[in-house]
Amino acid sequence: MAAKRLKTSADGLLTASRYTLPTRQCFSRYLTTETTSPTTTIAQAYADAQLASSSTTPILHDRPNIQPPPPRVATPKPTRPTTFTPQSNPFAKTATLTSHAFPSMEPLTHATYPGTHLLCPMRKDILHRAVIYEGDMTRQGTASTKYRSEVHGSNRKIRPQKGTGSARLGDKKSPMLKGGGVAFGPKPRDFSTKLPRKIYDLAWRTALSYRYKQGELICVEDMIELEGVHEHSAPRYLLDMLRHNNMGHANGRTLFITLEERPALFEALEAERMGREAKALEVVDVDVKDLLELGRVVVEREALEWMFVEHEDDLGPKDKLVSWERNQEALLK
Amino acid sequence: MPPRLQLLSRASAAVTTHSHQTLAPFLYPCLQQHRNASILSELSDNKGAYNKRIRVGRGPSSGYGKTSGRGHKGQKQHGKVPAGFNGGQTPDWIVNGVRGEKQHFTTEMSPINLNKIQYWINAGRLDPTQPITLKELASSRCIHGVARDGVKLLSRGSEELTTPINIIVSRASASAIAAVEKAGGTVTTRYYTDFAVKKIRAGQMDPIHSLQSRIIMAEDSVEGAEIAADALVEERKRFRFRLPDPTSRKDLEYYRDEGHRGYLSHLVREGHGPSLFFRTPGTGSRSGKKGASRGGAKKGGAAESNRLW
Repeated sequence: MAAKRLKTSADGLLTASRYTLPTRQCFSRYLTTETTSPTTTIAQAYADAQLASSSTTPILHDRPNIQPPPPRVATPKPTRPTTFTPQSNPFAKTATLTSHAFPSMEPLTHATYPGTHLLCPMRKDILHRAVIYEGDMTRQGTASTKYRSEVHGSNRKIRPQKGTGSARLGDKKSPMLKGGGVAFGPKPRDFSTKLPRKIYDLAWRTALSYRYKQGELICVEDMIELEGVHEHSAPRYLLDMLRHNNMGHANGRTLFITLEERPALFEALEAERMGREAKALEVVDVDVKDLLELGRVVVEREALEWMFVEHEDDLGPKDKLVSWERNQEALLK
Repeated sequence: MPPRLQLLSRASAAVTTHSHQTLAPFLYPCLQQHRNASILSELSDNKGAYNKRIRVGRGPSSGYGKTSGRGHKGQKQHGKVPAGFNGGQTPDWIVNGVRGEKQHFTTEMSPINLNKIQYWINAGRLDPTQPITLKELASSRCIHGVARDGVKLLSRGSEELTTPINIIVSRASASAIAAVEKAGGTVTTRYYTDFAVKKIRAGQMDPIHSLQSRIIMAEDSVEGAEIAADALVEERKRFRFRLPDPTSRKDLEYYRDEGHRGYLSHLVREGHGPSLFFRTPGTGSRSGKKGASRGGAKKGGAAESNRLW
């Protein structure tokens, strides 16, 4: 460090400092005395003295290096833009979803939903947080062990402190010993974590958007129910229907989401080896994990709209589904 | 070849056996092994959400084995010592004192540079036809929230500013003012309190005009005064709260300064400085009168400015 200091030039030290005061010529007097003979009086000498000084200039700036901002100059102003078109919201898109008949899967009509509900950008981190939150909440948390105080046994000291030649021991419930308690084993506890509701709602709609963009979200106009099928043939009927539509096990399995319990459908899926083909859930029992797990999601339209309304807390009042639909109707008029 | 085998070979020749079987494209999925894997296997949180798990006392390779990050012997290895404790001797922070203190009167402003404003105008997020105040800057997310004392305009990227804008902020740097005016715009600086900032953002206060800023032109007569009073009453009805004016000397002098484009500079007399205490030299009552009257009575014909007293 000392070597570095030596290298710096000493010019700054030797030369005068850069900040120099302005030569103040005001109030300065140069008394110049002419060579006069000693016989002249002092008064005469004073009268003859040349008192020279320059005109005073007011001290306006004592820091000459600071430049004040330039005064307003009347420059010809370029024309201001008179019209302004506000930027259209690039996120205000609509998603079109075809709804089908069941079980024919014939397309019947299509429904539009806002981009905030079915065109959310992919957020794997938010989906992860939601799935972990659900998993934590689902944990039973019933693992239990006995500490050394809970193990059944006496508190008697097994052998004397000194003299045996072996390690000192207290009771036989010590974790060091076979048959003793567990030192820091699990105890029944609550594993649930918290996740802000708005993030969870956004995760829900992100999962639905992902499925929609992949083409794995299929909407059914009416109920998903096996009607006019005998309960004994319902599983085979459903299996054939799934295979025909490439929705079964060979194609990654399907999740049916219904608004209420559909007895025939649910019973058919409880049959043997139907679990490997498809799964059915009521909309209240659905999780984000269920939406992402299987190969595709077949959802009743009313159930889909129920899910949207249930999970839009992170949106402002104008962006909620009901307001959006009202706006759309108003625009059409 | 015996005849039977010949027949067989001719029969087998009829069945074309290609070395490479061409397959229609729609059957390609059958060729590839398709495994249905869900996105669940790819989900992960962001990198910053994960922290290295440190378990001390589990071997040398972990970096936290043996002494487990506590060093050797002493009270700190076996227990704990309060922070800053000097063993009973007067602690250093009492002997030497803690550096500095909390400054309660600093002005906290949100800085905004000219390049960002131009970028926002180009994107159609700021309206250059209307005055740009802290309300528009905050609602368009040009600035994220507004600091206690408002917005300061700075000049990073000043060469990019080409649109004339009418901007009203708490403060502005000299180069920012020059750049805006070069582009044909105007800068006005005005006083905002933290209460005012909140109410302006809520739409409950006028973002531009206060009592001292508004010049109501009216005749110097009773009718004129009435018209001015009516105009003021009308203004009061528009908003629930009234934009305040500065009271402290420092603020008053800042906004009276033409160089800062302060909104109170119209209250300063021509040729005078913004200071409330210091008079501008050359504008006082003494400088003009007495020099003129005693000009003739000087001896030696010396100039007026030669006077000692």
